[in-house]
Amino acid sequence: MWVAIVVAAVVVLLLLFLVVIYNRLVRLRNETETGWANIDVQLRRRYDLVPNLVEAVKGYAAHERETFEEVTQARAAAEQAPGPAAAAEANDQLGGAINRLIAVSEAYPQLRASENFLALQQELSDIEDKLAAARRYYNQTVYAYHNAMQTFPAVLIAKPFGFREREFFGTDEGRDAPVVAFDRRQ
Amino acid sequence: MTLQQQIRGNRWRTLWLLILFALLVGVLGLILGYAFQPSLLVVVGVVGIVYGIFSWLSAGSIVAGATGARPADKAQYPRLFHVVETVAIAAGLPQPPPIYIVDDPAPNAFAAGRSPDKAYVCVTTGLLSLMDERELEGVIAHEISHVRNHDVRLMTLVSVLVGVVALLSDFLLRISFFGGGRRSGGSAGAIAFALGLAALMLAPIAAVLIQLSVSRRREYLADASAAEITGDAEGLALALRKLQLDQTSTAHASRAVAHLYIENPQNQATGVSTAFRGMFDTHPPLEDRIARLEEAGGFRLPPVS
Repeated sequence: MWVAIVVAAVVVLLLLFLVVIYNRLVRLRNETETGWANIDVQLRRRYDLVPNLVEAVKGYAAHERETFEEVTQARAAAEQAPGPAAAAEANDQLGGAINRLIAVSEAYPQLRASENFLALQQELSDIEDKLAAARRYYNQTVYAYHNAMQTFPAVLIAKPFGFREREFFGTDEGRDAPVVAFDRRQ
Repeated sequence: MTLQQQIRGNRWRTLWLLILFALLVGVLGLILGYAFQPSLLVVVGVVGIVYGIFSWLSAGSIVAGATGARPADKAQYPRLFHVVETVAIAAGLPQPPPIYIVDDPAPNAFAAGRSPDKAYVCVTTGLLSLMDERELEGVIAHEISHVRNHDVRLMTLVSVLVGVVALLSDFLLRISFFGGGRRSGGSAGAIAFALGLAALMLAPIAAVLIQLSVSRRREYLADASAAEITGDAEGLALALRKLQLDQTSTAHASRAVAHLYIENPQNQATGVSTAFRGMFDTHPPLEDRIARLEEAGGFRLPPVS
């Protein structure tokens, strides 16, 4: 009788423990998904901006065909990149291409002065800041998720219950961040 | 200490202070129940809970009304909106919090709201004109950290506990002056009674000191969380240095909401000796806060001349 009660108590405790750990892992995994959704919003804004930027520059510098093509291709590649790590890599490329496009536009004073171009540049710098913020948050959530998965006793149940590690989105050092120096006037 | 260590350390210190607080309330309650009427405990409990619910429900709305805040216009303050939106993303808030402006030349900011999805951020016009974008980001991250760390909830709970302690000790003092209770006679009993009275009179002060200590702990925690959110401890340190050099004091702030600001909105008390001055502040000295950020971020601000 006593043995049965003790065994039952131990089983119930273990089950409770399992539920708590499982729920914690689910919560952390959901956080990484929210973090990824935040990055995705900014990436989409960036993809939507590129054609407008190309159009704006084209109006003043139609012969810079190579640069336009490079940006357009980089954008297409970034849009199709599977998974966070590949997306980070492709967006590094895209960032570099956008930088070159901006650098090219420096040579055209009329373009630089156009209101449309200024607005686009301002939006670009807004996107870059928010992308960096979203990246920092996402990588923190992935780090916390991995930490929880790899520590005892969660490590025992993470794999059997189908918790998989997630890819980081690039590194946290903004090495690829386009250098869009822009005065936000207030 | 690294930021992670600071964050963990501050969480632990908060927990210890709350345990201390619970002990204080528990001991007072036991005395009341043991020495006098156990049924009085139920009365105090009910009053405490009602008071708690009332403070909780009013926690969201009191602040905006008391400080004369108005909603900010995005076209008028694009830089502020950009910073708040960026920091909200970096902090992982569900959506950027509403922004309010207070017309006040003194630089200050606060955040309020019961939970991260009901939070709002409020800054003074003085802050906007004083800080550059990087510093503003540090200040906003500090405020959003208060929200994310559930400091409004914590400080509401603590202030209710302060009220309960005051109530309990007041009760006990009144009853003992009227000579109630089953205390034993003799000189030992008289000494114990005198000591008990002294303890009762000191209890509310102890409660307020614990409350202020919790508040200062949460400031250090919000600084460390802010540095983690922005990844830029130096930006916040530069902002704190500017606040340190600034002399104007916030016009509308009351003691009740002081713990929500970026720095103590009231002028430091003068005439109190420096050893005790720190104990009655809601915020740690700016110099200490800057020093901790310097340590975590591995940089040094130029000294104040």
